[in-house]
Amino acid sequence: MPPVSGPATGKTYWRSLDELADTPEFRKFVESEFPNFAPELLASPSRRRFLKLMGASLAMAGLTGCRWPKETIAPHGSRPEGRTPGESVQYATAMELGGSAVGLLITSYDGRPIKVEGNPGHPISRGATNAFAQASVLELYDPDRSKGVMQRQGDQTFYRSWDQFAAYARRHFDALRADGGKRLCVLSESSSSPSLADMRERFGRAFPAAKWWEYEPISRDNERLGSVRAFGQAWRTHYALDRADVIVSLDADLLMDHPAAIGHARDWAVGRDVDEQGQRRGTERAMNRLYVVESAHSVTGSMADHRLAVASRRVEAVALHLASCLIERGVAVPSVGNALSRSSRPVEADFVEALAEDLLAHRGRCVVAVGPRQGAAVHALAHALNAALGAVGTTVSYTEEIEPDRPTHAEAITTLSTDMRDGEVDTLLILGGNPVFDAPADLEFGQGLDAVKTVIHLSLFPNETSQRCTWRLSRAHYLESWGDVRAYDGTISVVQPLIEPLYDGKTPIEVLALVIGDQPAKGYDVVRRTLQASSGGADFDTRWRRALHDGIVPGSAWPTAEPPLKRGGWAAELAERVRGGTAEAGQVELVFTPDSHVYDGRFANSGWLQEMPDPLTKLTWDNAAIIAPVDAERMGLRRGDMVRLEAAGQTLEMPVTVLPGQAEGSVTVSLGYGRTAAGRVGNGTGFDAYRLRTVAAMEVVTGVTLTSTGRRTMLAVTQDHHAIDSRVGRRERDKRLGMLYREADLEEYRRHPDFAQHAVHHLPLVSMWREHEYEGHRWGMTVDLNKCTGCSACVVACQAENNIAVVGKEEVDRGREMHWIRIDRYFRGQPGAPQVAHQPVACHHCANAPCEQVCPVAATVHSSEGLNDMVYNRCIGTRYCANNCPYKVRRFNWFNNHKDLTETEKMAFNPEVTVRARGVMEKCTFCVQRINAVKIDAKNEARPIADGEITPACAQACPTQAIVFGELNDAESRVARLQADRRAYAMLGELNVKPRTQYLAKLRNPAQPEVALPGLPKATHTEQTDTEHS
Amino acid sequence: MQGSRPFVFPRWTNSLRTLIAAVVIVGVLYAALVVAYGASPQTTDVGYQPEQPVTYSHAKHAGELGIDCRYCHTTVEQAAHAAIPPTQTCMNCHTNITIGNSEKLTPVRESNASGMPIEWVRVHDLPDYVYFNHSAHVRRGVGCASCHGRVDKMELVHQVEPLSMGWCLDCHRRPERHLRPVKEVFNMGYTTANQLVDGRRLKELYNINPSTDCSTCHR
Repeated sequence: MPPVSGPATGKTYWRSLDELADTPEFRKFVESEFPNFAPELLASPSRRRFLKLMGASLAMAGLTGCRWPKETIAPHGSRPEGRTPGESVQYATAMELGGSAVGLLITSYDGRPIKVEGNPGHPISRGATNAFAQASVLELYDPDRSKGVMQRQGDQTFYRSWDQFAAYARRHFDALRADGGKRLCVLSESSSSPSLADMRERFGRAFPAAKWWEYEPISRDNERLGSVRAFGQAWRTHYALDRADVIVSLDADLLMDHPAAIGHARDWAVGRDVDEQGQRRGTERAMNRLYVVESAHSVTGSMADHRLAVASRRVEAVALHLASCLIERGVAVPSVGNALSRSSRPVEADFVEALAEDLLAHRGRCVVAVGPRQGAAVHALAHALNAALGAVGTTVSYTEEIEPDRPTHAEAITTLSTDMRDGEVDTLLILGGNPVFDAPADLEFGQGLDAVKTVIHLSLFPNETSQRCTWRLSRAHYLESWGDVRAYDGTISVVQPLIEPLYDGKTPIEVLALVIGDQPAKGYDVVRRTLQASSGGADFDTRWRRALHDGIVPGSAWPTAEPPLKRGGWAAELAERVRGGTAEAGQVELVFTPDSHVYDGRFANSGWLQEMPDPLTKLTWDNAAIIAPVDAERMGLRRGDMVRLEAAGQTLEMPVTVLPGQAEGSVTVSLGYGRTAAGRVGNGTGFDAYRLRTVAAMEVVTGVTLTSTGRRTMLAVTQDHHAIDSRVGRRERDKRLGMLYREADLEEYRRHPDFAQHAVHHLPLVSMWREHEYEGHRWGMTVDLNKCTGCSACVVACQAENNIAVVGKEEVDRGREMHWIRIDRYFRGQPGAPQVAHQPVACHHCANAPCEQVCPVAATVHSSEGLNDMVYNRCIGTRYCANNCPYKVRRFNWFNNHKDLTETEKMAFNPEVTVRARGVMEKCTFCVQRINAVKIDAKNEARPIADGEITPACAQACPTQAIVFGELNDAESRVARLQADRRAYAMLGELNVKPRTQYLAKLRNPAQPEVALPGLPKATHTEQTDTEHS
Repeated sequence: MQGSRPFVFPRWTNSLRTLIAAVVIVGVLYAALVVAYGASPQTTDVGYQPEQPVTYSHAKHAGELGIDCRYCHTTVEQAAHAAIPPTQTCMNCHTNITIGNSEKLTPVRESNASGMPIEWVRVHDLPDYVYFNHSAHVRRGVGCASCHGRVDKMELVHQVEPLSMGWCLDCHRRPERHLRPVKEVFNMGYTTANQLVDGRRLKELYNINPSTDCSTCHR
């Protein structure tokens, strides 16, 4: 029902370029009554198959109906102390990715880890997680994981035992000791583990001539090099975003792609939590303002108050111009001084001038951050700027880097490749990683590997590298291991196993101990020894147990320092490069980024991550070359068109996707797809961008050519799925989207704090039914749109908690993804420089729910606590409820999605949630299993439920705490106070469905006066844009 | 002209009468059969008494010797499950008590030596989509015997109640018919002169308002 009257808010949103241009494809998708209905079962060729299937299922039903299955109960022989069968327990551990750890609490049921949560006591995670950590449970149980030990002899591969390998290793490595291991090399992943560092030292003593290399395909070496340029020594930079009022990100995805991203997001959200005066809650400080200069549209960029899309290689020019603007305004930027002669005025000058003004106005309360794809000199400049702006010591701090003298990852892999090819390596021990797949293409690492006599690979999966190795050792998953890791700030966490190794794996520490014949050889003993050595002394046992319990070793963070800047020639070099850069101005550049699904390729076999829509492109199961709308128009390309990319002598064919906000002349490709030996899930998905990556151009390649091949491919993109506003026409849709997602500028908000309530005007709402009354509990939720970054951790967390099925690329393309919470992503403004809006949508548990009124079998009914209960075993699958749901949050099981799971995969299920079968509707339950668990505990202890005690999986995972759940009948609860906030509004409240989830309207904080951005409409009430792009 | 002619059912419709009668009769019979089958003890498994790997007698231990339920089912007051005891619990006594037919204890001794579990056959088996919590009931005055019957008199445990949804809801709707003082929960022989009066008083006292929402048991 459209609202009766009321003007459009004038803020025009659109979901995709297809929608903006109103292409026939978009109309076809949203206007079909059943966009996800595929009549394959009813088509005549398969009618026989249909009858066969029906007959078979009837026969099965008859058989199972005869007798209850006999079930047995197997109690312990001797029950471990403190163990209660069937009750969950949480243990603290940590997961390392790219050399930095996130502290976690793992929920374990009867010895099976089933769910990952953040550790509230950990300095980085602070109780939240990211999608990678959430999905690690599925990785643990992956049946494609490497199993035991295998040895290749000639063309044949044999199963071996660890004892056989140990015997071999003793012989082999003892022989190598004679010359100190001159022809022995180790290649490891980046790791912060103190125990591994200790084992490495022992290894170095056993083999003094051996070489140890470290390689990560997604490297942050530029940051390290930048600090060496600025300070003469490697320092690690830390940002305290909660103390910053102005945050400037130069190609840095601080909120998503950073080892401390979860902590950053929490800190950033502190500056977004505003009261009715537009100030941070409980303080006099203003809401923070985020400037982002970048080529690819990142999650951080999508949250920017001012975003400038420039090609990646132009970022340094912007940075330099910023420095010169500041110098002009009397800021003494160390080391830069006269190196700068302001040459030509860049196109972005207005933006940079305004930015400089804003930074000057917020000295000591600002941050300038540079991303890992920018060169060392830009990082050095940022250090100088932060020092000059008084940020160091308040918003920016430094700690020493571990292994300050190691070669860069690119240097390491290059030297190793050369050595291998020159025949200088006889034995190579690879600890983790997948260099055959992810080393730069021009090194041809795989060929080099063939020249090495003995290659031993310790790996979680039998990947591309393992297949070319002599020995494949299976690696223990972090949930099966004893270990230790450091967080980005240096805090040590002990990694403790939640389960015995499922596939007979060992950790790198244990393999090293085995190789050098060191004692003790067990991971537990090694980790204890390391910790005792570093923090030893009396009463170690108590502190050890405390560290295991808390998940952190207190006081182990590195001390912060304020290193003095050193004069260097980097400023002149930067100026020179910027001047020279104009020569390649017309060329197309290619930027490599980590992938939001598979990171560097290592998570390719995780169905949960593959199916999670990318926060910006909403792409699933694939990567694609992201191009700007102008470029697409010029070349006549549409999403799904195959193009040939040629860069540095390498070519790759892959599809394109067009992303509003992508910089003109810049192509972004994420790494890690196109695996050939990932496993049954990851094989054959996406396209391998590593083939275009060379040592000379690890981050950005210029001079790329893009030619259309004329072919098309299917990309499963969810952005137009579950559109709330189908079949209403363009003008009406524009109006409605402004009512679904409400936002204002801070100034506007100060003038009209209740703007969110006035976005829709309608006649008084009268209910046709007698209203429900709630005497006991009444649960509710709020989602603060001002904090949601769209990072999608909640999507995977919900999937893990609620046993949600993975359906695959074809089914996603039909709109049949099963996620109970989706994140609607809208654009606003011009396709070249749009503003982005993220809106998580799950079941709103309407008090006056349209779904309940149409169910013919009462399979969805209202509970006395205001939950919209879904009763799976009553559901007969009419799907009336899904059709009648205005929020489009109901999901139908078109297939028996869990039928073919292996026994190990079933171990990942949450036993507290029913596994749904085919033909059943499902949707968000507000995590009713968690509500009931807390209710029973509270009643048993005869106490009231505390506010915040019940946390649904999505709210628990949220890094910014945008989602709040609680008791609406208690006016003092967090959720009740938030729903009373003037920013709170009910989406589609005009339908009188009385949703129990409310949103807090988004606020943007543009600089005053407004910074002129190319293409960005003035924030005040623009009329709709009529640009036609495809 | 045609409109004035009265409508006459064609002759073939005569056979319809018998057909409809047959359908109605068969339908009623079918419905009765389905209901009878659904409610029959065979379907609900009342009286289900599987053989167990050890001929453990509740009548001996809980009845004759008077061992409290919670000596073995330790978790019943804290957790959803009233856990089947580990072998260790048996051996607490049977390390010293070896009289009687010691052959019966062989599986227990074997389990104790090997650490492998004794695989007991489940008697009270709810469907997997039902989430029952023992602690929520025994801590609020629902006696063991209310659902499990006089286990202290059973040589071999069998199912006494149908454990069907209707049976659950009976009590959730009218808990006063089954409530007892919390301290009597584990007293197998508890009786009261006037259950309804006591029950209403206890319902008030313990603030018992059982929920009949679907999500209370189905998640």
